[in-house]
Amino acid sequence: MDSVIKAVVVYFVLWAILRVSGRRTLGEMTAFDFVLFLIIGGSTQRAITGQDYSLINALLLVATFVTLDIGLSILELKWPASRPILNSMPMILVENGYLMTERMRRARITEDNILEAARRLHGLECLEQIKFAILEATGEITIVPAVQAGRVEATVAERA
Amino acid sequence: MDEFANRQFPIREDMRFQRRAWIVERGGWAVLVLIALVGLSGAFGNGPLSWQRASAGSLSVEYERFQRITRLSRFTFDVSTRAAPEVRLHLSNAFQENFEISNIQPQPARSAVGPDGIDLSFTRQGASAGRIVIWAHSRRYGTSDITARLGNEAPASLSVFVYP
Repeated sequence: MDSVIKAVVVYFVLWAILRVSGRRTLGEMTAFDFVLFLIIGGSTQRAITGQDYSLINALLLVATFVTLDIGLSILELKWPASRPILNSMPMILVENGYLMTERMRRARITEDNILEAARRLHGLECLEQIKFAILEATGEITIVPAVQAGRVEATVAERA
Repeated sequence: MDEFANRQFPIREDMRFQRRAWIVERGGWAVLVLIALVGLSGAFGNGPLSWQRASAGSLSVEYERFQRITRLSRFTFDVSTRAAPEVRLHLSNAFQENFEISNIQPQPARSAVGPDGIDLSFTRQGASAGRIVIWAHSRRYGTSDITARLGNEAPASLSVFVYP
């Protein structure tokens, strides 16, 4: 009985802590973040398994976690209003080359983060080449490049 | 440019929700800091708020007010009487039921079970004041009200809260 209760408590506590820690931690994961997540996993694992290393306990825990996960995904599907609560919402950070600094400050994203995403995803060099930079619900930054007249002609010429 | 106006393209935003989410997020950080501070204070066990002393007659007990399940904790019994050659320590049922003793120092000469708990008898060397240390794991969460007494003296009450 207590295995199931522990699993439910751990699931929701971890969810709440990760949700509150903000999107930055989830999306832009550094090597250190990765180590941190391993430690978080290790410390909670001991609390839920305790000294019970039985097969049944493992089965109960896995079943509970997967059930909760499926349950939440069904909830999101049936009740779309829950989606932003469970997963947060996407938000625009750069609009036609202009940084929305107040939004960035609150979301703890720097100009460097955006430029890095622009270079990595599209090989862009400066803000003017970005039409939209969007902080996705998953915590990633995605970039919509500004379409430059010259470049479109070039790509059309390449195709032809 | 109003940063907090909703954009509809290329994604549909809800900045009112977003601002509320930020407030909740900040509240969550405060809670996390609070948890760490409360942890330092010992309210979750092993800290200044947790260290407790109870005494009655010639017995004085040092123990942890807050404990965590399965975690080893120390109960120190200081005996100040120098009269008898034998010290008899009685612990109530609540101790026996909720704790698993992992070590007793010194080892009791005799131990016996009665209807109201356990009796541990220690032989005393010379006329020294004695100290008995019991290391025990708590096995059940919640509050345990334990009484401890020496021989037929008045009992000391220990109140232990065990976190899950």
